[in-house]
Amino acid sequence: MDTERYSRQLILPGFGLEAQNRLLEAKVLVVGAGGLGCPALQYLAAAGIGNIGIIDDDLVSLSNLHRQILYATTDVGRLKVDAAKEKLAGINPGVSVSNYPVKIDRNNAIEIIKQYDFIFDGSDNFATRYLVNDACALLKKPLVFAAVSGYEGQIAIFNLADDEHRTTNYRDIFPVEPLAGEILNCAETGVLGVLPGIIGTMAAAEIIKLITGIGTPLINKLSQYNLLTCEHYNMSITPGNDYNLPKTEHEFLVSNINNPEAILPSYIEIDAEMLKSLQEQPSTLVVDVRERHEFPKITDANIFQAPMSNFVSLLESDLPQKNIVFLCQHGIRSVAAAEAFHEKYGAEKNIFSLKGGIVKWRNHF
Amino acid sequence: MKVTLISFGKISEFIHNQELEIGPINNTDLLKTHLEQVFPNLAGMKYKLALNKVMVQSPQKLSEEDVIAIMPPFSGG
Repeated sequence: MDTERYSRQLILPGFGLEAQNRLLEAKVLVVGAGGLGCPALQYLAAAGIGNIGIIDDDLVSLSNLHRQILYATTDVGRLKVDAAKEKLAGINPGVSVSNYPVKIDRNNAIEIIKQYDFIFDGSDNFATRYLVNDACALLKKPLVFAAVSGYEGQIAIFNLADDEHRTTNYRDIFPVEPLAGEILNCAETGVLGVLPGIIGTMAAAEIIKLITGIGTPLINKLSQYNLLTCEHYNMSITPGNDYNLPKTEHEFLVSNINNPEAILPSYIEIDAEMLKSLQEQPSTLVVDVRERHEFPKITDANIFQAPMSNFVSLLESDLPQKNIVFLCQHGIRSVAAAEAFHEKYGAEKNIFSLKGGIVKWRNHF
Repeated sequence: MKVTLISFGKISEFIHNQELEIGPINNTDLLKTHLEQVFPNLAGMKYKLALNKVMVQSPQKLSEEDVIAIMPPFSGG
């Protein structure tokens, strides 16, 4: 063991060689190498977690850099997992890092998660969060959950028994996955870079506590952190009774429990070219559902402005056009709008959502 | 009866931390219905209540000075 490297934590009361050896033997999977994953990875590698897996299919982009501190400006366009592995090797060459440059899905989740002792979910969407939750609950893998929104963060630990032999999972708090667009993500609500830094670092601390047995980890507890007031509010999670989890791997694979991929879309996601050709047709309405404060402003007077915050009145009004195209900043809220309008009109009208939103097609507006 | 409300995330934009007079309401199920009437934005959302820092999984009896936390799910990372 590289005792010089770990000397400052080795001398801590209650830590020592035994705890360090546990870290060196541990296998931790980090789902999402983003705002939460980056700081967690840095501290996990530095502390000497022997085996780290990173799963993320995304590339580094410029707007990531204010919070995803493993990456440099020169990494823009690279696979996050590749850039992360390189940085972690520099921090601690004694750590073995396995890269999974794929999107975690129903078909690969079990196989990958099985190889690890502790799972950290630092992903950025509900579909992944519920998938990881259900897989970890099935495999009884300790799951550290962390998420942020605006100036606030949530962190909890699931699938480990407390003193009363109870275990919980994310569905004990929120049994049903929110619909696409129902809850805004960071790209839409904004996030101060340091917030996922704090929450991701807290997650790393909880993982280290779980592995070494020090302190009292947040098992069956949800901690809410507010950056603006610097307050933590911890609540106990008790087992709920209003959901079902897959009981076998086969059930998990074929499971349609809140699986959005299994529901056939009732609207069509289009690109900017398709949008252009639709705009040339006589009976097309294009609706921008972003809020009034969002940039870039659209100057095209033919694009109707109808903020999502006042969506109900749009939904209640009768639209004469045959083709209705929704667009927003990233193509997430527009999906929710498209779903609602398909529900209203069914096959009577053609409903579209601009995939990737204005950010992806900024040159077209 | 008076209870204290503490809210998080998007919910805190329309339910500020406050003491709320709830009259004869004496359990968390009735309180949910009441909150969704007083704060209509809550009705269409997914949220969880915690009573005195313990998550509510079935109707719980309310007492004077209870603290109710209301939180939405977060997905950001």
